[in-house]
Amino acid sequence: MEKLEKIDATEKGRNYRILLILSVFIFTVPFWAGLIPGSILHMDIVNLMVLAGTYACAVIGLNLLVGYAGQISLGHAAFFGIGAYTTAILCTRMAWFPTWLGVILGGLVAGIIGWLVGVPVLRLKGHYLAMATLGLGEIAFILFTQLKGLTGGTLGILNIPSLSIFGLEFDTEFKLYFLIWAVVMLMMLLSINIICSRVGRALRALHSSDDAAEAMGINTARYKTMIFVLSAVFAGIGGALFAHFLNYIDPASFTFFLSILFITMVVIGGMGNIWGGLVGVIFLIFLPEVIQGLPHWIPLVPESLTNFGNYELVVYGLLLILFMMYMPKGIAFGLSRGTSYAKTKFGHLRDRISARKYEGH
Amino acid sequence: MRKVVFRGMKADEKRNRVLWCSIAVVALVIALALSLKGSKGLQWVISGLTVGSIYALVAMGFSIIYASTRVINFAQGEFSMLGGMLMYTFSSQVGLPAWLSFILAVTVVTALGAGFERAVIHRMEGASVVALIIVTIGFSIFIRAVAKWIWGTDPVKIAAFLGEEPLRFLGASIVPQSFWVFGFTAVAVILVFLFFNRTLPGKGMRAAAGNPDAASLVGVSTSTSSLLAWTMAAALGAAAGIIIAPINFAAYSFGVMLGLKGFAAAILGGLGSAPGAVVGGLILGVLEIMTAGAFPSGYKDAVAFLIIILVLLVRPQGLLGKPEGEKV
Amino acid sequence: MVRRGIGLKLPVVLLCLMVAVSLVAFGCGESGEKEVYNIGAVLSLSGPAAPLGQPEQRSLMLLEEQINADGGIDGHQVSFIIEDDESEPAKANTAVTKLINQDEVAAIIGGSTTGSTLAMAEVTEKSKIPQVCCAGGTKVTQPVKEYVYRTPPSDAMAIEKLLGYVENELKIKKIAVLHDANAYGTGGADELQSKCGDYGIEIIARESYGSTDTSMVGQLTKIQGTDAEAVVVWGTNPGPASIAKNMKELNMAIPMMASHGIANKKFIELAGEAANGVTFPGGRLLIPESIPEGSEWRKAVDDFSKLYKNEYDLDIDTFAAHGWDAGLIITDAMKEAGTDSEKLNQAIEKTKGLVGIDGIYTYSSTDHDGLSVDDMIIIIVENGEWTFHGAEAEPVN
Repeated sequence: MEKLEKIDATEKGRNYRILLILSVFIFTVPFWAGLIPGSILHMDIVNLMVLAGTYACAVIGLNLLVGYAGQISLGHAAFFGIGAYTTAILCTRMAWFPTWLGVILGGLVAGIIGWLVGVPVLRLKGHYLAMATLGLGEIAFILFTQLKGLTGGTLGILNIPSLSIFGLEFDTEFKLYFLIWAVVMLMMLLSINIICSRVGRALRALHSSDDAAEAMGINTARYKTMIFVLSAVFAGIGGALFAHFLNYIDPASFTFFLSILFITMVVIGGMGNIWGGLVGVIFLIFLPEVIQGLPHWIPLVPESLTNFGNYELVVYGLLLILFMMYMPKGIAFGLSRGTSYAKTKFGHLRDRISARKYEGH
Repeated sequence: MRKVVFRGMKADEKRNRVLWCSIAVVALVIALALSLKGSKGLQWVISGLTVGSIYALVAMGFSIIYASTRVINFAQGEFSMLGGMLMYTFSSQVGLPAWLSFILAVTVVTALGAGFERAVIHRMEGASVVALIIVTIGFSIFIRAVAKWIWGTDPVKIAAFLGEEPLRFLGASIVPQSFWVFGFTAVAVILVFLFFNRTLPGKGMRAAAGNPDAASLVGVSTSTSSLLAWTMAAALGAAAGIIIAPINFAAYSFGVMLGLKGFAAAILGGLGSAPGAVVGGLILGVLEIMTAGAFPSGYKDAVAFLIIILVLLVRPQGLLGKPEGEKV
Repeated sequence: MVRRGIGLKLPVVLLCLMVAVSLVAFGCGESGEKEVYNIGAVLSLSGPAAPLGQPEQRSLMLLEEQINADGGIDGHQVSFIIEDDESEPAKANTAVTKLINQDEVAAIIGGSTTGSTLAMAEVTEKSKIPQVCCAGGTKVTQPVKEYVYRTPPSDAMAIEKLLGYVENELKIKKIAVLHDANAYGTGGADELQSKCGDYGIEIIARESYGSTDTSMVGQLTKIQGTDAEAVVVWGTNPGPASIAKNMKELNMAIPMMASHGIANKKFIELAGEAANGVTFPGGRLLIPESIPEGSEWRKAVDDFSKLYKNEYDLDIDTFAAHGWDAGLIITDAMKEAGTDSEKLNQAIEKTKGLVGIDGIYTYSSTDHDGLSVDDMIIIIVENGEWTFHGAEAEPVN
């Protein structure tokens, strides 16, 4: 046991360092992103990153659920939507309502609903759980559409105020960027602490086998529900931030396709790798933009292909297949394998150099 | 060891019982609809069974691939969409006779399905099930985008095989195409069931999914099994898409809805079971029409999904599915 | 091992290539011409609303070609930068932000749907960039937003036209509404509900269906059980075509009326015989004979129709007209105001008597709709052809 704790501690330390480096990088992005002329870049990095940040909240939680607890969910758009609608309804009905409280309540309400549905549904396994969560997502979408008095129906909710915390207004993308990514980094910090702890070990046991975990005296149902609720809270907070970012929400933003996008982000980023969620979000948010930008950068792509918006999706679908074929465990694993490969190679070199020095003596 | 065998036998027996129970439930629902609403109820049942057969055909495609490889193919709906659109191209645009167009369309889609298996799925041996699911999602996005490029976004019409004049009886009406759908579904389920339960290759394929080592002892490799399953599922999907197109038109975007409902039907009936796919499809179809007729229609899909979830909570492996622990 | 090698090398090579080419492209650009006028457009080129966005895109491309061939605006070439929102409002919002911040466009066209338009308006209002949309939802212009204008006849106008016909010609008092559950259908049904009282009409059943539903029999049997004298269907293809077929199957004798969402020949092709008798409000451009011969408007419609047919081998539809008119309104205002968005907005608001395809546009500070109910007609499908309701053929303007 002591040994396991030691491993966890070193793992934690390593992840903290990565988090620190990543934070430094992420928080400097808005300063240099504006310097690249739009005529070359053909994308709005800050805007995309803000959107990515809101999605990241949901995906980090979902990664804990899918990658560590081994439970699939094809309905996380529902919790994202519940968070968005909670804060949108509160803040538009009551002008005095503090927006930051709306975001917190968005997470809470999503968590409570997650608990209510999670307790019964998590008894299902594999594809049956996938179906049940997919159904829940569809039901939530229909309720967003049908409960007109509350949600504004298909027309959605307009004029959602921008976030402000104790008089500090986050009314531009530039300001919002720092807030949202700070939230994302906090969630990452929390995830690292969960994974590198007793809970994390229990989860890993659960992932490899329910029965074995039960035999080890782990209350699997409790852990599954706990992680499910946590992922719902994360998604709810992400959704609430999304609502305050766009100032407008409608049911079309929370469909089955968003749930699929979330799970794709988890898997392509690296299921069961702490950083997988983040990598997946950023990769899949920027991929369509990069594909769209290609004809501007490489004039070889004939214009007839780029018109009528069809070639992006062809390439997108193909890339999804190729990435999964060559990195079936996700990009984050591919990256860490690459770095460890480099490390061992570099390490060998260092050893050899020091060995030579020694010989020289 | 004895205990395991015993449990297996019991499960088999139980499955048979459940099969009859489900059939009884379907019959009961139909009788209820008839007695309560008279000719209106009959109409619901007829339309519901037509829609349900469509779902059942797609669900069977899911089940074939799942039974042999444990993969959920989220591109299954796209096979049906492609079948319908290719039928339109060959029969309406090129002007070939219907039977030839049918054969050509099914051949093209089957080749695509088999090709995808060889080019991608086959090379991903050992990848997690979720990774394989994401690959099929990527494939469905790709097919949809290419279909949109070729055929545009407008829905197209495919002429019914036997005219469009509805037949009327007992105050209800039915379009002739429905008989094609019923007949095709019945033949398909019987063939698929017999193949997987009565023939050696079929049994081998099922074994290949459960235990690759044992299967290779019997002489069935997981590789052949997977290829065969994808080929069959693509062919069935394409044929289904062609048969149902005259009822509901065809468009590049229809695969999503078919896939979603087909998946729901396959799960409801129990993954990997052909009769289960049909039972699940029919229940889902009748349920949809009835809830649209009896509840505020905006909630009809919500009611259908709620019932599926409730059924799963009572029977976590679907109506006719075999209980087994699975991992993501 | 070999495989992974390829997997890593390929992206790196691609990346280098991209950087190299972009540098070259950047170096060669910038010739001595007058500055290009950039206009952004966010349309639904994919997703469920693609049948709206695609014709809009086609006509914008035509317009760009025509203006530039005629020497541009005061020698400035015009460029429409078109983005796809995939029929999702959130994506429309992102796209419009990109167009304003990165491409520094002077004005925005779109979106194709009411949802996208409203999402975009959150951005355009904040950045004070004029936006001319192609969506019909009432909420877009009521209350009037300072920077948001509309080209198509609003849903409210279409509904007034239809209800007027129901009251005066059919003399029917009880109708059933069957609408698509999406934003277009729900918006229309809400509008019908709020307006029908003015015409002494009662809605005795209101049902909805999903855009890709296979059968609408459940909803129709429910309507059959009421004493509705007509069914009004609010949705876009293929839903209404399925409903027309289902109604025929069920032997429903009451007339079917529909929205201008089915105002293309596709509906007739899909519904076949069941299309006969279906009645809907539509723009006059659909039946050019309803526009007085020799008028400027008639000439504009005929020219556009010919141009469109030549380029794409397609008949024009209302959506093509919306796209063209949106481009026309902005470029017309640019002749006077250039690219200063504040001046441009004022110039658009002063638009008066501008002959478009949908009708003749006149905006004011209280009216950002531009068109009037008289720009529409009632169209009835007879023997697989559109005919317009006779009494409406009088000249307008």
